[in-house]
Amino acid sequence: MRIPCPYCGPRDTHEFVCRGETDTNRPDNDEAFYDYVYLRDNPIGSVREHWYHAQGCRNWLTVTRDSQTHEISEAVLAKDAAR
Amino acid sequence: MQRYSIFSLARRALSGHRHWKPTWRDAAPRSSYDIIIVGGGGHGLATAYYLAKVHGITNIAVVEKGWIGGGNAGRNTTIIRSNYGLDGNAPFYELSMKLWEGMEQDLNYNTMVSQRGVLNLYHSDAQRDAFVRRGNAMRLHGIDAELLDREEVRAMAPFLNFDNARFPIQGGLLQRRGGTARHDAVVWGYARAASDRGVDIIQNCEVTGFVRDARGRITGVETTRGTILAPKVGLAVAGHSSHVAAMAGLRLPIESHVLQAFVSEALKPVIPGVITFGAGHFYVSQSDKGGLVFGGDIDGYNSYAARGNLPVVQDVCEGGMAIMPMIGRARLLRSWGGVVDMSMDGSPIIDHSPIDGLYLNAGWCYGGFKATPGSGWCFAHLLATDQMHEAASAYRLDRFASGRVIDEKGQGAQPNLH
Amino acid sequence: MVEGAELVPMLGMGIAAVMARRGADMTHLAALLGISAMPVARALKAGSGEIIIGTGPEMWLVISPDAAPDWGESLAERLAGVASVSDQSGGYALYSLRGAKARQLLQKGAFIDLHPDAFGRGSAATTVIAHAGVILWQTEEEAPAFELALFRSFQASLEHWFTVALAAMAAAD
Repeated sequence: MRIPCPYCGPRDTHEFVCRGETDTNRPDNDEAFYDYVYLRDNPIGSVREHWYHAQGCRNWLTVTRDSQTHEISEAVLAKDAAR
Repeated sequence: MQRYSIFSLARRALSGHRHWKPTWRDAAPRSSYDIIIVGGGGHGLATAYYLAKVHGITNIAVVEKGWIGGGNAGRNTTIIRSNYGLDGNAPFYELSMKLWEGMEQDLNYNTMVSQRGVLNLYHSDAQRDAFVRRGNAMRLHGIDAELLDREEVRAMAPFLNFDNARFPIQGGLLQRRGGTARHDAVVWGYARAASDRGVDIIQNCEVTGFVRDARGRITGVETTRGTILAPKVGLAVAGHSSHVAAMAGLRLPIESHVLQAFVSEALKPVIPGVITFGAGHFYVSQSDKGGLVFGGDIDGYNSYAARGNLPVVQDVCEGGMAIMPMIGRARLLRSWGGVVDMSMDGSPIIDHSPIDGLYLNAGWCYGGFKATPGSGWCFAHLLATDQMHEAASAYRLDRFASGRVIDEKGQGAQPNLH
Repeated sequence: MVEGAELVPMLGMGIAAVMARRGADMTHLAALLGISAMPVARALKAGSGEIIIGTGPEMWLVISPDAAPDWGESLAERLAGVASVSDQSGGYALYSLRGAKARQLLQKGAFIDLHPDAFGRGSAATTVIAHAGVILWQTEEEAPAFELALFRSFQASLEHWFTVALAAMAAAD
């Protein structure tokens, strides 16, 4: 699995740390907080995740990946995705 | 059921082994049952068996999307142990360990339970202290644990790299009753014993949805082989728990991850038991065929692919070379991956779901195999009595909301770190 | 020309991490550093002798030969308001790797494509060699010659990798 880092180019996953599903924003009430911290969609198929390019440009990426085939369709800087 | 014994073996041998009957009955689905268990792996089949044996409920279907034991039951590294430190875990895994110890007699099946010992190495003073604490916790729960010093470890496993510059071996925590069992045989043994008591084992039968009544209760499953009704449906589909639960509209505190395992060419007997490296991600044992069976950490990203990537292959091999340099002379024969349920605290869930009629057995992380008999025992108890079994009373689904997490590794809600 | 490959420490250099301030004008920043445009995953040499290496989005490593003790501070003053500067002279170690087999050797360590078509003079990458993070750039086509920066505490590890990799390569020849 190689992730096409928008800055560094295609890089082995060796260089990255996966943080998991990109989530909704941090909620402001306790009930939603349980959901936010503990529950996951965990779907088969397309997932949007945060990956940190720890051994590269040290930026957070938002990666769109298929959880069954590992095919990566998009990787953008998380700060751009959040805009 | 034809009982297996040395006499039955001799008799069949004399007739050229032509008259063995199928071990279990491959059933077609009927329209309704008392209980449906989704997932024909070790856990699902053990659940069906103990429901029949302990609770006298035999009108049960075990539905399996592929063939029994074709998922994680066939992909693990066959280790059994109960060396857990936390109160929520220790009684459960010890119940499971005791069931392993009586399994072959109980099932009349050779599951090759081999209590050859599980040795966790420690490499620093701090790690020794943690192991002393874990060993003491185990003994307070009536589980065997021995702290070995460096020379005692050397006597057991002289081939280890004791003077690794970064991680010298200081000693180890040994559970002699731990060891290995034959994973496929466990599946077949439970299938045979359950089938014999009237349980229908239905293969190539994938659940595609749930049947709900007007009150929202689950009253059955839709499958690729038609609708099957039952007032109680139990999920034992670890790896795919989120996927199946989503069909009932549930989100679980679980992520699916890929865990890889490896086996070398067959060697002469060299490793006495199971050995784990305390400073890297590597553990190893030797199968009865002679292959070194080893593995390490999960890949670290969500996956349903049942195959991993090269960085973890490299990491595991480097761990092996660090602790046991002679492994470098062995050729790698096979590697594979399995999809595991990683829960948010690294511990499993055996509980009611929030939906009436639906029960959960999930979140086994990378340690489901050793739990097989205990999981079956406790899930059967839950399905039959609607009460959680005492030994599994901590495995509640609501523990994340109530703060009673069982975090053996202390990593928090970051499943890829457990 | 070096026959195989050699790894030579580069001493006495000033090293600073530079990060553009939010909304900073890149052309202005480049002008302050004496270059025409800020490099992206490339290494550039300014007229002053300073080397500017793109290490990430709006992040660079700036290296100065024969740096005075207050070079980092003076660079911060020079870029004030446009970029933040943190002096890394004591944090990073620098090496020059050169020789006819330098590229082949490097390819044994780094997981990136180092074919001359993909990585040539002026190319730069932040990546890993033997588990240690490195910033790597190519200075010359001939020989060829590379330079790399890594955290100082990984020096022994890198040198060990180099010795072992070179020996393995020699044994394979």
